[in-house]
Amino acid sequence: MPKLIIDNREIEVPEGIKVIEAADRAGIYIPRFCYYAELGAVGACRICAVKFVDGPVKGIEMSCMINAQDGMVVSTTDPEARDFRRHVIEWLMMNHPHDCPVCDEGGHCLLQDLTESCDHGIRRYKGKKRTYVDQYLGPLIQHEENRCIQCYRCSRYYQEFAGYKDLGVMGIAQRIYFGRYAAGVLESPFSGNIIDLCPTGVYTDKPSRYTGRRWDYERVPGICINCSLGCHITVSARYREIVYLEGRYSGKVNGSFICDRGRYGFFYANLEERPRQGRVRGEDVPSGRAITMAAQRVKEVSESHGAAAIAVIGSGRSSLETIAALTHVCKVQGWRGPVLFDSRVSSESVRTAVSCIAQELAVSMKEIESADFILTVGADPINEAPMLAMAMRQAWRKGAGVAAIDCRSLDWPFQFEQVTAAPDDMADFLAALENSETTVISDRFVAQIKSIAAKIRACHRPVVVCGTEITDSKIIYGAAGFVKAMRQAGQEAGLFYTLPAANSYGAALLDEIGETAEDLIERIESGEIKALVIVESDLWDTFSDRQRLIQALEQLELLVVADFMATEILHRADIIIPTLSIFEAGGIYVNQEGRAQWSPPAYAGGTPIKITGQGGHPPRIIRPDIPAGDISPAWRMAWWLADRQPPASHDLLLDWMGKTFPVLEKAANFTSEGIRLYLPEARRKTARETGGRKIQSLGEYLLLPVAAVFGDEPMAQRSPCLEGYAKHPEMWMAASDARLFDASDGDAARLQLPYGPLELTLRLSERIAPGTLIVYRCPDLFWQQFARSSRFIVPKDRIRIEKKA
Amino acid sequence: MQPIIVIGFLNNMKVLIEIAYALYMGFYTTLKNLFRGPFTEEYPEYKRPLPARSRAQIILTSDPDGQERCVACYLCSAVCPVDCISMQAAEADSGRRYAKWFRINFGRCIFCGLCEEACPTSAIQLTPFFENSKRDILKMVYEKADLQVDHCGKDKNYNFYAYAGIVTKSAGKGEHVKEEKPVDVRTNMP
Repeated sequence: MPKLIIDNREIEVPEGIKVIEAADRAGIYIPRFCYYAELGAVGACRICAVKFVDGPVKGIEMSCMINAQDGMVVSTTDPEARDFRRHVIEWLMMNHPHDCPVCDEGGHCLLQDLTESCDHGIRRYKGKKRTYVDQYLGPLIQHEENRCIQCYRCSRYYQEFAGYKDLGVMGIAQRIYFGRYAAGVLESPFSGNIIDLCPTGVYTDKPSRYTGRRWDYERVPGICINCSLGCHITVSARYREIVYLEGRYSGKVNGSFICDRGRYGFFYANLEERPRQGRVRGEDVPSGRAITMAAQRVKEVSESHGAAAIAVIGSGRSSLETIAALTHVCKVQGWRGPVLFDSRVSSESVRTAVSCIAQELAVSMKEIESADFILTVGADPINEAPMLAMAMRQAWRKGAGVAAIDCRSLDWPFQFEQVTAAPDDMADFLAALENSETTVISDRFVAQIKSIAAKIRACHRPVVVCGTEITDSKIIYGAAGFVKAMRQAGQEAGLFYTLPAANSYGAALLDEIGETAEDLIERIESGEIKALVIVESDLWDTFSDRQRLIQALEQLELLVVADFMATEILHRADIIIPTLSIFEAGGIYVNQEGRAQWSPPAYAGGTPIKITGQGGHPPRIIRPDIPAGDISPAWRMAWWLADRQPPASHDLLLDWMGKTFPVLEKAANFTSEGIRLYLPEARRKTARETGGRKIQSLGEYLLLPVAAVFGDEPMAQRSPCLEGYAKHPEMWMAASDARLFDASDGDAARLQLPYGPLELTLRLSERIAPGTLIVYRCPDLFWQQFARSSRFIVPKDRIRIEKKA
Repeated sequence: MQPIIVIGFLNNMKVLIEIAYALYMGFYTTLKNLFRGPFTEEYPEYKRPLPARSRAQIILTSDPDGQERCVACYLCSAVCPVDCISMQAAEADSGRRYAKWFRINFGRCIFCGLCEEACPTSAIQLTPFFENSKRDILKMVYEKADLQVDHCGKDKNYNFYAYAGIVTKSAGKGEHVKEEKPVDVRTNMP
């Protein structure tokens, strides 16, 4: 452990870190452009020059290029070093355009800050400035290459860190250019991070272009809820709307970066069609009035048909507070629910995953980066939980091997070995890996499985990543068993699940029954349920059989829908109650490893000024309140629906949650890293072979709707800027199956499904498991979304292929 | 005579002279002003020309070529000590950044001139016109159209977009003041 003195402060740092990082640890800021903790140093910008006064190195040196060594005496404020840096900034600014007033980076620009702090004001060089032609990089990122100072952060991040090749650096000397070879939409779903990384305004956020300056924003540290990972973000709000989200450092979850789905998935909170008023039978009423009327109607139904005739549906996109409140209210009122899962398979899978994950088995996403072998089972990180793919890439960059047992044609930004297994066979493959029992699997795979098993056995920190979407509870249970077995064998094995929604874990913690929407529809059909209260959930999106759903809803006496998004089901509600989004109400979300994290409200709520002013000046009215500022969070509404008084404040609510639900006992004491919550031993489930329906005979195909990074998640798919990123309706088929149909890539496929026909473009891949058809969920599919974790058996004669012209 | 008495006598003489001088000056001033005209100006009838840099009513000026100067950079609203300026920037079809709406609440404004000092494009300027009191407080809230003028104000020459290097309808990359032609990365020729 070298000891060194920086600015008269003695510090001890681990071996092998650079002086600039050592200074960071001591709380001393050395100017930097090219250095970034995650990306390391390249010594390109020369602004981190410091004076080495004594020790093994002497004189002016770049602090990002010199390892911290014992006996070093470093001065960052030495006049010689300051003078050096003043000259560096002067030559960096030589070609920088005079456009700060119209640049979106102005106000939080590192180049601006360091130019000021290095005392450079007047440009002495009288020559002409170099210019570049900018490129169109898609609807998310604005390019202005004139501002570039050649720090290489973007190309290093994009190519080395994220693993995509379409943005990079070209040219030499005075003609260095950062961009794509030809203008076009950036391919990486992690491209937005170059906005945060760029120390000046070369890449700026396009959807929030010119919206404001950093100093005007209401900024809070938040949690992303566009997948189950719970990445840390910084939320910026202005004029009563969310302006943009940035990655926020977390040493446990996401590191510094976030994916584009998380970065741009917030627009649902700003949309004009969002419910902002109560609505009772087509008439607008204040939201408080809608709640009292709903409570009254619910009471009437309860009196005439009994309390059990009322059912409540929640979802994994609600906060833990809302789920807890709904659970409590249902319990004390005798209502049915809350139903928190879409389908039986999904309920079973999620609850098994939550049961299996335990203190010693779970690893955080950041810990995956130090794994030395990663095995994925039925998980497609890039589509289900994009940042997980990024974490896996970092492990791969450090030399970890990656193997995937999956039936999809996986496309990840790193090398991996795929065992193409049908969903029904995955459990067998997992068992084969665990105990080298290869008799159950097809001979074709024996050699491959044996080699993977040998690799896993040889490493110290293997991680098993298991999906919950196309897998069943047997596989999920098997993954945990495998990890346990490796632990017993002395390996520091880790377990990581991906879950369908941001708070699926929280839902499984509180839901002891595990009832699903499917069960509920059956009860409505049998006349048992007369009133339905849907809170922040959309059956339209999650229940596949739309005809049946419509008929069931017509049988109801009362349908109350409370949501912060304009969902389809809203249009069929008798009473609409608006609720608040995470940005206005805040909320606790439990991510897939059981980490409960608190996201505070970013702004007070209300209709955005863009809407009240119709794009122009805000209305010239003096009013004491905020327009549509009277909406209450869903947890308060839950109590009021039952005609009870909710806890008076959020703090009291947390106290109450800890007392009422033993599993949430720790939830009130938050740290910035969150609190890990696990199911107590007594409530853990053991595996039950429920699974989906299996293929009965040859000539039947298993159709799996699977997650897509864009256009699938219910909140992010509402973002106008992400519209073009959603996949087109495609059906992937094994190349060997295609021969039976005499089909080729690009043909049109027509499926006759129980709920209606489906038209898709056929795509072929060798890596699709035979007998499996993969459809990525996208908004263009005719019923918009397949239910999560649903599977369909399609007989061969229901598939028609039309040759492309 | 004792020296102390002499000093006392001289002091008394000095006081007497001062009193006499003050009396004379007082009467002189009074008499002089009795016979000359009034100093006051009949304000609404006569308006004294004020120096161009006196600070009152705020305007949004135009570029020498007639386009709006304000790029809605938010610097004036940031520097304003009473928070009386608010705006929203947007991008015009011509590629210029402009204020979609711009509002100054003169009910709050203290005419300190910091906004003018902060403005990087010489758009916002204070003028000597000070007669802007109103009976209705909402009328003190000026919108963009109330603030805009079609002249350059005190700065006759500066045109921000001629220097900024931003592509607009009037100039592309490399066509602004002191700019080289855009780099072609696909060639190695100097």
